[in-house]
Amino acid sequence: MARYATLLLVGVILALVPLTTGGSPYYSRITTLMLVLMVYAVAFNMLFGHTKQLFLCLGALAGSSAYLSVVLTRELGLSPWATIPLGILVAGFLGGLFSYVSVRRGLGVIFLGVVTLAFSLIFYNLVLGLRELTNGETGIVTQGLGAGILEGPRSSYYMLFALLMIALVLYSALMSSRVGVAFRALSDDELTAELAGIDVTRYKVIAATVGSLLMGAGGAFYAYYTGLISPALFSLISVDIVVLITLVFGGMGSLVGPVLGGAAVTVIDELVRPFGQLNVLVYGALLIVLFLAFRGGLVAVLRKTAKLPIP
Amino acid sequence: MSPRNDVVLAGERLTKYFGGSPALKDVSFRVEQGEILGLIGPNGAGKTTLLNVISGILTPSAGRVLFQDRDITGMRPHAIARLGVARVLQTPRPFLSMTVLENVEVGALFGGRDRRGKTSTAVDQAEFALRLMGLHDKRDHPVGSLNLQEKKMVELGRALAMGPEVTLIDEAMSGLNPAEIEDSMRLIQRVRDELKVTIVWVEHVMKAIMGAAERVMVLNYGQVIAGGSPGEVARDEGGSRGRTGSCPCSGT
Amino acid sequence: MVPILIDGIVYGLQLSLLAVGITLIYGLGGVLNLAHGQFAVVAGVAAALLMGNGMGAAPASFLGVAAAGIFGLLIDRSLLVPAYRYRGEERLLLGLVLTLGLSFVIDGYLNLSHPNVSLTIRLPMPSLTVLGITIRSAAVVTSLLAILAFGLLFLFLRGTLLGKAIRSIIQNEVGAELCGISPSRTRTLIVALSGLLAGLAGVAQGLFSSLGTEMGVEFTILALIVAVVGGVRSINGTFVAGILLGVVNALASYYMGAYVTLIILLGAAMLTILIRPSGLLAYWT
Ligand SMILES: Nc1ncnc2c1ncn2[C@@H]1O[C@H](COP(=O)(O)OP(=O)(O)OP(=O)(O)O)[C@@H](O)[C@H]1O
Ligand SMILES: [Mg+2]
Repeated sequence: MARYATLLLVGVILALVPLTTGGSPYYSRITTLMLVLMVYAVAFNMLFGHTKQLFLCLGALAGSSAYLSVVLTRELGLSPWATIPLGILVAGFLGGLFSYVSVRRGLGVIFLGVVTLAFSLIFYNLVLGLRELTNGETGIVTQGLGAGILEGPRSSYYMLFALLMIALVLYSALMSSRVGVAFRALSDDELTAELAGIDVTRYKVIAATVGSLLMGAGGAFYAYYTGLISPALFSLISVDIVVLITLVFGGMGSLVGPVLGGAAVTVIDELVRPFGQLNVLVYGALLIVLFLAFRGGLVAVLRKTAKLPIP
Repeated sequence: MSPRNDVVLAGERLTKYFGGSPALKDVSFRVEQGEILGLIGPNGAGKTTLLNVISGILTPSAGRVLFQDRDITGMRPHAIARLGVARVLQTPRPFLSMTVLENVEVGALFGGRDRRGKTSTAVDQAEFALRLMGLHDKRDHPVGSLNLQEKKMVELGRALAMGPEVTLIDEAMSGLNPAEIEDSMRLIQRVRDELKVTIVWVEHVMKAIMGAAERVMVLNYGQVIAGGSPGEVARDEGGSRGRTGSCPCSGT
Repeated sequence: MVPILIDGIVYGLQLSLLAVGITLIYGLGGVLNLAHGQFAVVAGVAAALLMGNGMGAAPASFLGVAAAGIFGLLIDRSLLVPAYRYRGEERLLLGLVLTLGLSFVIDGYLNLSHPNVSLTIRLPMPSLTVLGITIRSAAVVTSLLAILAFGLLFLFLRGTLLGKAIRSIIQNEVGAELCGISPSRTRTLIVALSGLLAGLAGVAQGLFSSLGTEMGVEFTILALIVAVVGGVRSINGTFVAGILLGVVNALASYYMGAYVTLIILLGAAMLTILIRPSGLLAYWT
């Protein structure tokens, strides 16, 4: 119950945000990008927060979905409404495949990390190499989906808001079902979980697939919203590192962690922006500091100060 | 002695190699419905390896495991557990983020064969198992706060909450004092009597095994070197100390 | 064809120098160093700064390599200490995240403070002709340095007691305590040594073309690929894989272009992990 009450509260607050930005296009863009980041973080929470699968190809998953949809739409004249689901499914399939292979072949943290990192770079080089289709570094101009969808600041904000809420509801539903119990058990101890009758492979693949579907959805929505997609938008530093920081900062394995982290990182990003390239240094340092000294994240701090079992 | 003679679990010429030397060699055994089979042998004899092969944690290099006449060799552990072969590990590895009750509930939720027909919920089954283990009043404690013996009982509780046909227990008693050993021995017998569970029980504490098991099997260097009633095995044991003594480094 | 092959082999030696450090640190410390390429960059930048202040190329390069070694030592004794407190998966995970963070800190810092520094070393004679084949003198110098470095490394690993202990720890995952050596001091030594080797690879880059502050990621990736294909627990495998992939790289970039080449190399690493996690070459090395 606490889960759905919190969800409602988060929904109401985020729904009111556009009213406070006073129609400024700048803030409208920042808050919309914040929602994209939150979607990514919810996705990564399933992968890493709950089932300890460190995927280093978040950007590549989002990018695969985005590029697949945009390129197919442009080259074959298909409707984005057909290509977006396709892109999302491909991302989900890839994520599920990585997870399945890594669990069944008993690849540990390291090998899963290297395989997914290699996939990231393959994606990046493919986009650069297939210049005729992707325009290389220059990128492809995109536009909204028509009928006011992902067109104009307000509509875009609420589309991404809707996506985030869907992600959060999906997350809550999973976590309050037996899937949630299985996640908890296997992230505590995989062998004990397996011996208690939990199909560890199946649940890890479920987490990876759902997480990757959400990455794909976030990537595709972002692509049509942002106006120009280029490989840099889906690189390791602009997605993976930032999402990792967002999740840890907010609180791994919790419902509101990705939301709190998304807000915090957006603020930090704004503070560093005037200093140009400084963000790379700041993100690197944040990653280190958070993992060493702030493992519980903002959620843990809130739980302690408010003495509430925040989900 | 068990009233019926149905074989519920059997191994046929199980062999397991780690690198060059076999940890199990041609081990065959049968466990009858409702009995307590004691499995003894010195350190490194292959007892844990045998249980791992039965539970599907390890695949044998050769041989078969049969459960209720069905070949379960090579099945994955969760599938074997769901069929009805529960396992209690030598060192407890509980779910540390959970309470005692939640730990046991996981077994009830995932482990049981489909019992949707019954009205009892996972929580009921978990509470029942905890009462049996004498841990009911600690059910809301975080499992990390329990002592070693209590943790072992949580593990046994989770195994039993799965409603298993057979439970494989790896050393329930190492490190206990005589009074506790007596208690655990009674407990395991009671579990068998009340839940009609067949038990394969690995133990170092000879006295406990001799008091509770109907049959005993002795492993050494991965081979079965003796088997029979506790009395027979004890006599045998006395006559051949050198062979089953607990010095695994003397070589064959 | 022959010049391409020679280029490939020399580049391969450079890759081996980079990758062997990843193998050593992973085998001994249980940390996959994602900031390894940055060690090479540190050496190059240090050398370039010294040269900018009027120092000769040789002493500057020497000090640059030493700087990378010292940098490795410092990282082992500071950043990695919290990771070493854990074991198994937990250590691997923390090590991965911490070194990933470190790589961005180094990249970010160097790009901010020394955006235009790059190392280019010109040798007095640009090329030599041996048996009718013209070889760039940079290739000769790099090969000699790499062979010397590997020779010393193998002498150390095979000829000394400490080296033998290190080898058995890396290959068999034997605990250091069992071999009777101090785990933490040996680890520090190994990380510093890996820093030196990576530094040498960085300076070699300056001999060939030039080394810029932004090349860390690329080095790390290449080194990772080589280490993985060679089997992250096998030093010989890493050495052979470096040369093999160097040649593949040279041929592929000549005939197919840079993007395809990198995709081939990455694909090789992915396949190795999926088919033979112990390394494609682990069998015959
Ligand atoms: N995963 C493994 N890899 C390699 N060797 C193993 C492995 N597991 C067990 N062994 C070896 O197999 C032999 C049997 O070990 P096992 O743990 O089955 O003995 P045990 O009878 O349970 O001993 P204990 O009474 O100490 O628990 C030992 O020599 C052990 O070193
Ligand atoms: Mg044992």
